[in-house]
Amino acid sequence: MNWLTPFQFDFMLRAFGVGILVGTICALLSCFLILKGWSLMGDAVAHAVLPGIVLAWLAGLPLALGAFVSGLFCSVATGFIRENTRIKEDTAMGIVFTGLFALGMVMFSKIETDLHLNHILFGNLLGITQGDLAQTLVVGIVTFVAILFLRKDLLLFCFDASHARSIGLNTRWLYYALLSLLSATIVASLQAVGIILVIAMLIAPGCVARMLTDRFSTMLLLAVASAVVSSVVGIYGSFFINGDTAACIVLTQAFLFVLAMLFAPKHGLVAKKYAAQIALRSLVNPLKGTG
Amino acid sequence: MIEHLLTPLHYEYMVKAILVSGLIGGVCAFLSCFIILKGWSLMGDALSHAIVPGVAIAWLVGLPFSLGAFIAGILATAGMAFVKTNTRLREDAVIGVVFTAFFALGLLLISLNPSNLNLKTIVFGNILGIARNDLIQVVAISVFALGIMACRWRDLLLFCFDENHARSLGINVRVLHVTLLTLLSAVAVAALQTVGALLVVAMLVTPGATAYLLTDRFGKMLALACAVGAGCSILGAYASYWLNGSTGGCIVVLQTMVFVLALLLAPRHGLLAHHWQRWKSSSPTNA
Repeated sequence: MNWLTPFQFDFMLRAFGVGILVGTICALLSCFLILKGWSLMGDAVAHAVLPGIVLAWLAGLPLALGAFVSGLFCSVATGFIRENTRIKEDTAMGIVFTGLFALGMVMFSKIETDLHLNHILFGNLLGITQGDLAQTLVVGIVTFVAILFLRKDLLLFCFDASHARSIGLNTRWLYYALLSLLSATIVASLQAVGIILVIAMLIAPGCVARMLTDRFSTMLLLAVASAVVSSVVGIYGSFFINGDTAACIVLTQAFLFVLAMLFAPKHGLVAKKYAAQIALRSLVNPLKGTG
Repeated sequence: MIEHLLTPLHYEYMVKAILVSGLIGGVCAFLSCFIILKGWSLMGDALSHAIVPGVAIAWLVGLPFSLGAFIAGILATAGMAFVKTNTRLREDAVIGVVFTAFFALGLLLISLNPSNLNLKTIVFGNILGIARNDLIQVVAISVFALGIMACRWRDLLLFCFDENHARSLGINVRVLHVTLLTLLSAVAVAALQTVGALLVVAMLVTPGATAYLLTDRFGKMLALACAVGAGCSILGAYASYWLNGSTGGCIVVLQTMVFVLALLLAPRHGLLAHHWQRWKSSSPTNA
């Protein structure tokens, strides 16, 4: 087995393609989520899609549709509880998504199905079928285009919602647009990384990019680049160590994040320490000169 | 009929599971009151995922699983604190980055040793098949956590409710902060056995939130939360025998149902009560 072996298998090539596509969309969205402070909303929505998948399977509908509706329901219910009771948003989110997830698990244990709970939870990147691939491609490309098309409005909405409202943007519509994009992205990523680790794909690339730049357009590009690199490295590595593919992708992303945290040009730890030293020296040197 | 309903209780493993679930449910519920006041709900979620690699490593090297989980929990908390103080990222993003990395590490370890470790046990819990050693650990942790909370609940309450006020009274908030985090990790370890890593957060949030809707007094809230937590866990474990389905799922679905009932019908903070008040204040007889 040499270093080119992984590229000789069809299933590996498919995995690389899907990994790059999913990584790209998740990375784009992660930049908006980080600005908006919605990182953990991704976690909640990802868990909440489970009952929708089971119900869609029972009704013979596309699984993606059920997942989408159920994910959207989670975020709407969270918003409803927050607005109508004195319960804080994070608590409301915790209650709603665990309730839905538990419901999904109970329903899952009661039906006879050819779905694998493990594949839904942890992804099955190496075993993607033609049908899954087509579904991921369609949902992925639609989401990608929608994000690019709406990116200016979404940026303003995430950065400063009241400013967005004051210049006449429909923030309510943007709120639901962002939620829908989030649900759609999670649906597209299901096959690849599973609902448990999609949350990592929706946070880490944005965090890496945020460490490296102050400009949003650069941040989008850097986030996509870091996600694509981690997907490729993670899938490639998992072939050799024979470990879980999704976990390898996420760990590569975490590694990139640590690198960025340490060595980012302006905001990294090393750079900050160096800057502090230079500042100290420039303070001390003149004193020495006069003394 | 009664005889039929009592069938699950003829099995020793069922009785054991029901009692242990009740105990853990009660302890989690007790803690949940502090957690939701402090606004740490998502910390509970993060920690319950972050302890997974600890459990995996402990099982691989033959240490008690609770020790491994506990160390992983502390490391994750320290990691979050480090990233938060040293970067400009928001707290929720920091929590997300750290806990997903830990969880992924746990999954990787499990996938590398499929024969030694059972993914299902960690992720979904396995209270029905709990081993004797694990049982003793879980009960010890629960009793220990319950003891600490019962002794220090006034300090913890003050800390959760108003940290600055607590500090001004001369209470050592740093110690309380660490105490609460330690309790959270310990209880998450115990709950992991019952409902699994994915649903621990429900046990740590839902009973407290339910009680919070029902009363304005903290003493009452503690009592109600414990009743809801323990009651739902006992009933859920019992029901899972009949449904032949996931025990953790049954417990959490029950807790969520009780929450929804409280949300609708709570005497002062429920949705119906709100509507009633609004209707009363807008009706012409009142004007």
